[in-house]
Amino acid sequence: MSEVLPMTAMTATAAPADRITVRNLDKRFRGASGDVVAVDNVSFTVRQGEFVALLGPSGCGKSTILNMVAGLLERSGGGVAIDADPVVHGAINRKVGYVFQRDTVFPWRTVEANIGYGLEIAGDSKTARAAKVQRAIETAGLSGFGRSFPRTLSGGMRQRVALMRTLILEPEILLMDEPFGALDTHTKLEMHKTLLEIWERERQTVLFVTHDLGEALTLASRIILLSARPGRLKEDFEVPFARPRDPVALRESAEFGRLYSHIWHSLGEEFRRTKAD
Amino acid sequence: MTARKMSIWAWRLVVLAVLLGTWEWGFDLAKLVLPKAWVPKFLDPYFVSKPTAIWASFLRLGCFTDPLGFSACLAANDNNLWVAMLVTLKNMWWGFLWGTGLGMLTGLVLGRSDYLSEIFAPFIVALNSIPRIALVPLIILMFGLGDLSKIVTAGIVVYFVVFFNTYEGTRAVDRDQIAAARLLGASEFTVLRTVVVPSALAWVFASLTPAVSFALIGVIVGEFIGAERGLGKLIIEAEARANASEMMVAIFVMMIVGILLAIVVRRIQGYLLRWQPQFDKS
Ligand SMILES: Nc1ncnc2c1ncn2[C@@H]1O[C@H](COP(=O)(O)OP(=O)(O)O)[C@@H](O)[C@H]1O
Ligand SMILES: [Mg+2]
Repeated sequence: MSEVLPMTAMTATAAPADRITVRNLDKRFRGASGDVVAVDNVSFTVRQGEFVALLGPSGCGKSTILNMVAGLLERSGGGVAIDADPVVHGAINRKVGYVFQRDTVFPWRTVEANIGYGLEIAGDSKTARAAKVQRAIETAGLSGFGRSFPRTLSGGMRQRVALMRTLILEPEILLMDEPFGALDTHTKLEMHKTLLEIWERERQTVLFVTHDLGEALTLASRIILLSARPGRLKEDFEVPFARPRDPVALRESAEFGRLYSHIWHSLGEEFRRTKAD
Repeated sequence: MTARKMSIWAWRLVVLAVLLGTWEWGFDLAKLVLPKAWVPKFLDPYFVSKPTAIWASFLRLGCFTDPLGFSACLAANDNNLWVAMLVTLKNMWWGFLWGTGLGMLTGLVLGRSDYLSEIFAPFIVALNSIPRIALVPLIILMFGLGDLSKIVTAGIVVYFVVFFNTYEGTRAVDRDQIAAARLLGASEFTVLRTVVVPSALAWVFASLTPAVSFALIGVIVGEFIGAERGLGKLIIEAEARANASEMMVAIFVMMIVGILLAIVVRRIQGYLLRWQPQFDKS
């Protein structure tokens, strides 16, 4: 929303609805030597169609926050809601898709069967699945690998399978936990390109966890920066780059470099702190 | 065939020829050159027979040389070699089936439930410490001299191997894969069917090759202790007559049965686990 618009125009266009609401979220883990505070009083909102990066150094509690949003992990305090519905631990919300950092592709299923998994268990017939799966395979650039088992694929291709396995169910809200964290720089850029193409077409609401500032700037419309452990909200700012974005061209542009170094120098002590240990 | 493969096969034939030659003529040769006390007992045909004598016994027991003809010979003896083999195989199969089935089922259930596995752990450890063979007389007393006692014995021997492997396999399932399946809409049961079972299958199969041998051992020991028919019974009868050739025939038949069944298991495993690199044939 632009600030030059008068108040009346603001209400007329109606601000996009809040899809993810996180309020005063806390998480403590019980350890042998006392409790570990992983997340400390974190609040933020993600609105309809936003691509938000949750950025912070390794170990600051990003995955912990994301897992509490997904309902995979119990909260110690605070609340999370998807739309107006409070998230309950253990209950899976069908509007939400989740992509893991670790490779969770099923090795005993072919690429096709992996991508079609969600449709299959939802009871879709083989013929109903086939067309959708084929389209997903093409979107992911996996043509010709449909019948292959995952072990014959590279790490990047497997992550494409994992991504399409989630996207084929058309989740309105997409939670991603460093999905490209294990990939080399080149493969990572290719994945960014694919993800941006898909997102710029479908405009899902995305909460994307990463410790990589460059990745956050390339993909996101907004960045939520967390401090080193315990994770606290440090900064919340818009990423001004125009869309559609081309990840390679964007990274080579002067404005990208300027913003990157500005954030790095003004907010980056968190990153330097983790580098040191 | 590569040169290496050819030389390996050539050497195998040499080893086989030496073994068979020593078996056939070793005792007579040793008697000629060594003092009597030094002639090794394990070469004595009284105990180990000879390849030619074993072959002759095989032809006779297998009803190939009977003057009355094959079918008349079969009918004359209700524990002839073929009936004995079929009886042993059949009991082995049913024992293998219930032992494996129950082992997989309980392994899966306890593997998925920390609560139940904690309750049952001491009982399983205690039961597993009993040498299974020690139970055989009891089982025969309970289930009689017929097939049922052999099926029960084979199943009990098989059960624990399969149970422990299934249990470990179920524990080893990747938690993130389970979470991924849940997030893709899978219910608890669907997770079990589509993630836990296929993932644990590699562990289950690792136990099936030994399980086949164990089933055979279980049936044979049962037949030793008390049976009406079967290969084990054949051996015990031959022993009573001090007939080493016939015992050797039964032993060779078991060996061949064991090899064939292991190949079958390996085939099924190769197909079901074709997603794993070690079973990749391409
Ligand atoms: N199950 C757990 N038990 C104890 N400590 C945990 C557990 N999970 C995470 N932690 C701790 O919480 C902190 C945040 O972890 P995590 O959310 O995984 O960080 P990030 O994803 O930002 O790298 C880390 O210090 C980690 O050691
Ligand atoms: Mg993490």
